[in-house]
Amino acid sequence: MTDPLDALRLPVIPVEPRREFAEHLLQKIEGRERGGPGAATGHGATVRYFVTDLNGSVAFYRDLLGFHSELIAAPAFAMLYRGDLRLLLSVPGSAGGGSALPDGSVPAPGGWNRIAVRVDDLDATVAALRSRGVRFRTGITSGVAVRQALLHDPSGNLIELFEPGAGYRERAPAPAG
Amino acid sequence: MSTVSVRYFVDDVDAAIRFYCQNLSFREVMHPAPTFAMLSLGDLRLVLSAPGGGPGGGQAMPDGTLPSPGGWNRFMIEVTDLDGLVSTLRRQGTRFRNDIVSGVGGRQILLEDPSGNPVELFEPVLPEARLSERES
Repeated sequence: MTDPLDALRLPVIPVEPRREFAEHLLQKIEGRERGGPGAATGHGATVRYFVTDLNGSVAFYRDLLGFHSELIAAPAFAMLYRGDLRLLLSVPGSAGGGSALPDGSVPAPGGWNRIAVRVDDLDATVAALRSRGVRFRTGITSGVAVRQALLHDPSGNLIELFEPGAGYRERAPAPAG
Repeated sequence: MSTVSVRYFVDDVDAAIRFYCQNLSFREVMHPAPTFAMLSLGDLRLVLSAPGGGPGGGQAMPDGTLPSPGGWNRFMIEVTDLDGLVSTLRRQGTRFRNDIVSGVGGRQILLEDPSGNPVELFEPVLPEARLSERES
C-alpha cells in the first residue's frame, strides 16, 4: 500500500554544490564575510570621500591600499570596499552625493576627518608606500595603544594607517555589573 | 571581528558624545580622556578627537598645524525612514546642510554634528537598484 502523503511530498532534487557557494559558506563560518553589494543597515560601514580624479583615485585605493572596486561609474562616482569598509568616491559637482548645496557651495576633498585603516606592520607598509611615491602628512607617531601615520590620497584626503599595540581593544569590554 | 574606524575632530567631545548617542543611536565604547572618545554603531567605530588633544590622532602636525572639524568627507548612516528621522532631528535643533535629495541609489541628506562635521543619512531604494544603475 502506498503512503497517501506521497503525492504531497516534494520531489528531491540532487544539488551539485557550487564552488562559490562553498566559498561563501566558509567565509560566513570564519567570520570574514564582507557586506555584499546588497548589504544594508547593520553590516559594514560606508564613508564618502570627494576626489578630483576618479580613475586616478580608484587606482590609488586599489593598487596601493588593497581596496577592491565594486562599481565604477566614471567619471563621477565609484564604490570600493576593503573588509567591512565601503568607500564611495564622488567627484565634486556631480549629481547625487557630489551635488552642490542649495546655497551653491560645492563639496571638496580634504579636511581632517578620515578613515583609519588597520595594518599589521606599519613600518613595512609606510616604507612600501613611500617607495611608490605616496605622500605622507606625518611620520609614524605613537598614540595610546596604537602607532599611526597619516597619508594623502591623490586629491589630498587623509588616510590614517594604524598598527595596534599592547592594550589595544577592538571593541569595548563587556559591561561590568 | 573587524570594524571600520573613522576619526572625526570635534571641539567638544562631551557634546559630540551626547549628539551621536542620543540622536543617532551610537554607543559609547570608551571616553578615557576629555579630548578623546570612541563610539560605535554597528560595524562603524567613530573615534572622536579634540584638536590638540594628544598624544595620538588629535595632536598637531610636525609643522604645528592643528587638525580641525569640518570638511565634506563623511560616513554614511543607512536609515529606513529618512523623513521621520529628519523631522525628529529638525525639531531638536539639528543643523542640516541641505534638504533631502534623491539619487538613483536612494534619498539622502547631510546633517552636521555640533562641531560642524557632516554626517550623511541615506535611505536606500532596492539594493539591486544601487548596483544596476549608476548613482546619479
